[in-house]
Amino acid sequence: MTDARTATIVGLGMSPQGRRLGISPRELRRQAIDAALADAGIGRELVDTCICFGVQPEDLRYAGLSPRASFALNSGGASPALSVVVAAGLIATGQADRVLSVYGEAFTGAAPRLEPNHGVAGRSDIGGYSYGYPYLYGLVGPGAVYAMAARRYMEVHGATSEDLAAVAVVERAYGSVRPGAVGYGRPITVADHQASRMIVDPLRLLDCSRPTDGGVAIVITSAERAADCAGSPVAVLGAGCGHNIANWWDGTMDERLGAAPDAARRAYAEAGVGPEDISVAQLYAPFTIATLMQLEEYGFCGEGEAPAFVRDGHTGPAGKLPTNTGGGQHSGFYATGFTPLSEGVLQVRGQAPTNQVPDAELCLVSGSGGNGGVHGSWAHVSLVLGRPR
Amino acid sequence: MNAPRPYPGDVAPDTADAEFWRACRERRFLVFRCGECGRAVWPAGGCPGHGMAPMAWEPASGLGRLRTWTVVHQRYATSFDDPPPNVALVELDEGPLVHAAVVGAGLLEVGMRVQVDFQEAAPEVVIPVFRPVRGPGDTLGA
Repeated sequence: MTDARTATIVGLGMSPQGRRLGISPRELRRQAIDAALADAGIGRELVDTCICFGVQPEDLRYAGLSPRASFALNSGGASPALSVVVAAGLIATGQADRVLSVYGEAFTGAAPRLEPNHGVAGRSDIGGYSYGYPYLYGLVGPGAVYAMAARRYMEVHGATSEDLAAVAVVERAYGSVRPGAVGYGRPITVADHQASRMIVDPLRLLDCSRPTDGGVAIVITSAERAADCAGSPVAVLGAGCGHNIANWWDGTMDERLGAAPDAARRAYAEAGVGPEDISVAQLYAPFTIATLMQLEEYGFCGEGEAPAFVRDGHTGPAGKLPTNTGGGQHSGFYATGFTPLSEGVLQVRGQAPTNQVPDAELCLVSGSGGNGGVHGSWAHVSLVLGRPR
Repeated sequence: MNAPRPYPGDVAPDTADAEFWRACRERRFLVFRCGECGRAVWPAGGCPGHGMAPMAWEPASGLGRLRTWTVVHQRYATSFDDPPPNVALVELDEGPLVHAAVVGAGLLEVGMRVQVDFQEAAPEVVIPVFRPVRGPGDTLGA
């Protein structure tokens, strides 16, 4: 499945990640860029394409970069994995040789409060924490989407809040031993979860991740050029895109995150593998229900079986599918889709600082985000990362 | 103190939906239907098979079923507070999914039958909500 032009991640750079770091987003991105270039062992003058995200400005001057192409992707938490897909295409067609993809945000300070503008010229309540008409009734923010999915899941499959708690407990156990993680030294119990306050029913505080400050950058090149880089190469063996606007059209959006059917199927097919071949998973899961739904959409277990899969320890360090091994977005750090992507690179390299999965040959990475025009309609991107074959 | 609640024009300043909101002021509920295949969508948008050209607003039953719901306890928006608002995803009998509050229900249950009602949020600002249908033939709020 791989050849000289197979997209290969050769550099990973990360700034500090955490709450209220007091570092500007631009500086977080610069630190990540410089770390990624150093990791790849390539000079900055060799970067020919830069990808940034959403409303982030291009930092070419500040970072001292001189690419041929520079642009932003705007699919929220799907964007980091999407940048790998885009880079793979640019590399395969010869348009790019070395692509730098960089994220960095600082959420320090109070959360923005949403107030209606009542028709003030030039202002719209769409975007940010609001998602169009549902805001008429007080429904804003991504948590509400996952809450509606969770309610539906619990109703259809007979799952309970304790089943969500099990996901939170596993993820925070991973984070509690990872130095630098926001949840370092702070494991939780099911009872802690059950005692935490309701945020968006049925999701409690300990079902939810929190934003953190931080920058992450990766360098992507071809398998052929990867041989000239210092970094330990990670091949993009498979990739797939999906969008759950399809599940809006067919009326099942509250039962799907968008991995099935398109994204997962294509990523597996490109890599020539199935769910049984995956050694470790890094899922985009800012809320606990997202882990349960993706375990099923990716075929790691059958429909309705994810709670038992988690309860039986299969997503834990000794399980058959260690999942979100750095503490994920709940307990590690929240760098949107770079949380799963960066941990996936570390696992395949064998460089995870804690809970390295022995012989982690294949890692599934997911990302989801964006807004297809209705609350909860977002893009989903799947990657199968592995050692170069 | 709560900020005033948002109006339709704040959250989606979309002239394509103007006819829908006009009809709400007359207590009529519309869906946007494709003249080619009959598929209904809400709010205004293109048919996934035939695009925007054959679409038109048409009267709908206002009947549907609760697919899922939440109660927003976290005060993300300053307009909603006491009690925390519920928001449901309703599958209309005509097909489309609609996000709206459910009023007049003690307990929200997935699968419950609901029927549209209308609330005056401000003079000339009328928004649809849903109420439980308590029995066959019940036309609450009509």
